[in-house]
Amino acid sequence: MDTVETSGMSRSRGRPVKLYQQISIEIEKEIQVHPNYADLQNQFGLLLMVEGDPEGAESRFSEALSINPRYREATLNLGFLYIEMKRWKEAEKIFLSEVKRHPKDGFLHHTLGVLYLRTGRPEEASVRIRKATECHPYYRDYYHKKGVWRGGRVRLDEKREKVLKKIHLDYHYAQFHNFVGLYVAKQGKSTQAVREFRKAAKLKPDEFLFHANLGTVYYYQGAYQKAIQEFKEALKIDPLYGMGYANLSYVYGLMRQTREALRCMERAVRLNPRYADLQYNLALLYSDRRRYEKAISMLKKALRINSNYLFARINLGVLYEEQKRWNEARREYRKILQVTPDNEDVRRRLERIS
Amino acid sequence: MLREDFVIQSNVRRVLIRSNIDYSELTFGTVRGVIYVQGRFKMGGAYGGGGGREEDEEFVAKTLRSLELKIRSIPGVVDVKFQLVNWKKERGQWIPSKQAE
Repeated sequence: MDTVETSGMSRSRGRPVKLYQQISIEIEKEIQVHPNYADLQNQFGLLLMVEGDPEGAESRFSEALSINPRYREATLNLGFLYIEMKRWKEAEKIFLSEVKRHPKDGFLHHTLGVLYLRTGRPEEASVRIRKATECHPYYRDYYHKKGVWRGGRVRLDEKREKVLKKIHLDYHYAQFHNFVGLYVAKQGKSTQAVREFRKAAKLKPDEFLFHANLGTVYYYQGAYQKAIQEFKEALKIDPLYGMGYANLSYVYGLMRQTREALRCMERAVRLNPRYADLQYNLALLYSDRRRYEKAISMLKKALRINSNYLFARINLGVLYEEQKRWNEARREYRKILQVTPDNEDVRRRLERIS
Repeated sequence: MLREDFVIQSNVRRVLIRSNIDYSELTFGTVRGVIYVQGRFKMGGAYGGGGGREEDEEFVAKTLRSLELKIRSIPGVVDVKFQLVNWKKERGQWIPSKQAE
């Protein structure tokens, strides 16, 4: 058997069923060991959904939410499942509650729009579609392509409504492919992971995470240009995704394009000012470009966030030493030796300048 | 040779990501071409044990040797210093540390 042909939940041929079944078995085993891991319950729910078992999926998503009531992904999965099961009121309740919490999330407005269309409430659907266009330009382009948005107005007719009604399943399948992608990526199967993430990104092109995951796998594969392209795509969707800039910086670092790496890491630090590892990497970049004062300042910041950041302290000591700031260098080396007294390297450095 | 710590650090990061190591409890830094690797060394996922104790230890020791070689082969790397809580290198051989027992 190489296709999924079960209930109305399944909609395409040629899925690598063996892989999905294998994952399903492995997740089930993991759940037996860790029954209170909400993410495992949520992942199993996705698998059951794709296998055409909505009741089983509902039970898993609900279980995930009973373990962690604030688990957003499981909440959305349950909401989409209710749409699929035509349990409109339960779905509406979930999405209205979510949109209250995240009023700028275009996808939630879009989903409510689809839900209202499917329940014969076109006026409410129009309001939601308009709100989605106000949240992100992607939706305006998308509705424009589908003929739903023309001249700054929502235009719905039977044909266009039909197109929109089909779309809600994309979310589920996108989440599913993303999860499978992560699963196979962990096993080092990067080609399969790329395939899955690409499917996810095709189904929901405005989800930054799918592009970020693709970028990470390309980075793993050494396909740096593709990695850059995907991280940039993720950042276009979510310009506040600080780790996207950090990842871009690492890729540029591997390509020895340190000017670009510096620019990206500066932005990553601006967006994640409490992440000592980023400050440390930025300090390395400054130090490599002989901007020593900036490097020292960045290392101090990293150490303010995490005073046990050993390497930051070693780098700081070495920079002080190179600047002939002996007292400060000695102070840092002594602090290191208090924590790691057997650090012979640092001991030798201290002895040399004492 | 042009030695840029950030370039080296990026390469070490990639070596770790591409390995079969669970690097969640490892930290690493680069100081003028010298790499420091610190923390608890563990094998990742499918490689996390399953053979006999001696086989597992031999496997981890081999992995450590291989990791060290890979890091040393990064252009610009001057030295690699491991400060692991559960493994140490004695007379060129990787052995489990007693304190980790």
